[in-house]
Amino acid sequence: MKTVVETINLKKVYMLGKVPVRALNGVNLRVNEGDFLAILGPSGSGKSTLLHLIGALDKPTEGKVLIEGVDISTLDNGQLADLRRRIGFVFQFFNLIPRLTARENVELSLAINGMGKNERRKKAERLLEIVGLRDRMNHKPTELSGGEQQRVAIARALANNPKFLLMDEPTGNLDSKTGEEIAKLVKRLNEEENITIILVTHDESMTKVANRIAHIRDGQIIREGEK
Amino acid sequence: MKISDIFSYAFSTIKLRKLRAGLTTLGVIIGIAAIVALLSLAQGFESTITYQLQKGFSTNTLVVTPGSGFNQMNRNPFGTTSSGFKLLINDTQLINKIEKVNASVAVIQKTCYIKFNDKEIGLTITGVNFTQFKNIYSTTFVARYGEIPSNPENDTVIIGYRLRDPWENGTILCDLDDEIEITWTTRVGIHSENKSYTGKVTAVLGEIGFNFGGGPSDYGVYIPISRAQSFFETDECNMIVVQLVDDSEETIEEVSESIKELFDNQVSVSSPTAMLDIISSAFSTIELLLAGIAAISLLVAGIGIMNIMIVSLMERTREIGILKALGMKNKTVLLIFLSETIIIGLIGSVAGIVVGWSLAYIVGRIGELSGMAPFGVGRRIGAMGISITPMLTPTVPLGALAFGIMVSVIFGLYPAWRASKLNPVEALRYE
Repeated sequence: MKTVVETINLKKVYMLGKVPVRALNGVNLRVNEGDFLAILGPSGSGKSTLLHLIGALDKPTEGKVLIEGVDISTLDNGQLADLRRRIGFVFQFFNLIPRLTARENVELSLAINGMGKNERRKKAERLLEIVGLRDRMNHKPTELSGGEQQRVAIARALANNPKFLLMDEPTGNLDSKTGEEIAKLVKRLNEEENITIILVTHDESMTKVANRIAHIRDGQIIREGEK
Repeated sequence: MKISDIFSYAFSTIKLRKLRAGLTTLGVIIGIAAIVALLSLAQGFESTITYQLQKGFSTNTLVVTPGSGFNQMNRNPFGTTSSGFKLLINDTQLINKIEKVNASVAVIQKTCYIKFNDKEIGLTITGVNFTQFKNIYSTTFVARYGEIPSNPENDTVIIGYRLRDPWENGTILCDLDDEIEITWTTRVGIHSENKSYTGKVTAVLGEIGFNFGGGPSDYGVYIPISRAQSFFETDECNMIVVQLVDDSEETIEEVSESIKELFDNQVSVSSPTAMLDIISSAFSTIELLLAGIAAISLLVAGIGIMNIMIVSLMERTREIGILKALGMKNKTVLLIFLSETIIIGLIGSVAGIVVGWSLAYIVGRIGELSGMAPFGVGRRIGAMGISITPMLTPTVPLGALAFGIMVSVIFGLYPAWRASKLNPVEALRYE
């Protein structure tokens, strides 16, 4: 099976004022195509930092991130931006652009990748259909519920046929019922569309839908295994 | 990301903050309008003055006056020079022998009291050979009423256009065939003595506008040279106007030198063409000054742009983080921010050009209607029947447009650069 993401002895230290904080302390992970990996850990365990490093948004202090075998520390800023287009990021607080409608938010991702107007409009509509939001696509984020906003964010993350999805507490800001719906949607994407998913959460219910679970504490993977 | 998408994204962010963008644009409009209005008025003013000056003189003439440049500054009130050098009427014969000189005419000028019917006015009387003077100033020494005689009677007088109707309201001060009394006060020892004679107006000149460089004037009174010689009891003249074969710089230079040499540097020779050049360059300086003042207001507008873009940068930090997480390149972020300032600069410049031009036109119109042109000297110019039409050469609006966009780019560059350099993770965390 093809390895999509691999981290080798990944370390990250950042400064909180003058105090160095060890966010990651040697993380080794391997994610294969089609995996649905849930990384569980309490807040402050370094799981968001791990996601940022895998998503090429931040640079490690030590160690390597390999994406499809390529060490991303060797890439320049432009190549990193290109890489991010092929990584679907879903955030806890949705991070939609408030002045754009649901469809335009999805289109923006396609426009950044240089897709033409008509083509991206059609594709955005198709993606919103997949996440079940076709009839709400002309609404702005403020007119949508939390669950609906997260669906838009997922549709946006899927826009440029990503190599994998990175989800940072996707249900963290939703009530449990809506959270379950999102979990189901993610599960469906993994099973039906064969999309590789790496998800960090402290929500135990997400572990039900994942097929691999890793526990992270104090910047280290303490337990990992197939379900 | 396509350029068109970058621009439409930038435009959508401007639309979101209409009032703020509008006020920033207003700053640019004011700056550009000031530049366009001031420059087009100044250029209109310059072209009007230059045109009037050129109308009043011949480009191929030189004016010879007694006294070297230095002595002229020490000229005493009686018109003689401290060196005691005198330019004689017959000196024209010497000047005529110089190569490249076509003709020359001696001019006697004295201040006299002239009685027109019941009004007495102090004016400069000019004694010239009418035929020669007319040859040199063939476009301006032309009769509008009556005729300029080639063999004038002793009492012939020719007056300038404005002396006929100085108030421009139809009240004729002095008309054709009127008799005027010319009185000259001369000194005999310590006493002063009045001399008078009565002349008859045989011609009124056409309107000239601006008198410049020895040529005929709207307020001039002209008598035959022979009469002037006998009346003022002198062989001395105040100046000699020399006509050259052409108006090239070399000819002007060459003949000027020859004349100075001829009179042993006791005369100064001035060229109206050279003087016009000096006036032109003075105007250029004034224009530069005005443009500079206007440019300051545009600079203030530029600082406004920078200020607003930095505020915008802070407000949109999270948005920039999202855009970067979606894979937008730093360069594209920079271009989005720059596009916003360019749009503001472009709209502001175009509107500013329209406003500035309208303003210049209105000011020019007001000047025309009230006979009061801008720039202080207005009343005098206006009274001479000159109206200022603002000139809009393509260089002014194009230059203003380029300058407006340049300023918006320069002041937008720093916030755009800062936006492009934001760290995505920190930007996403920004509240």
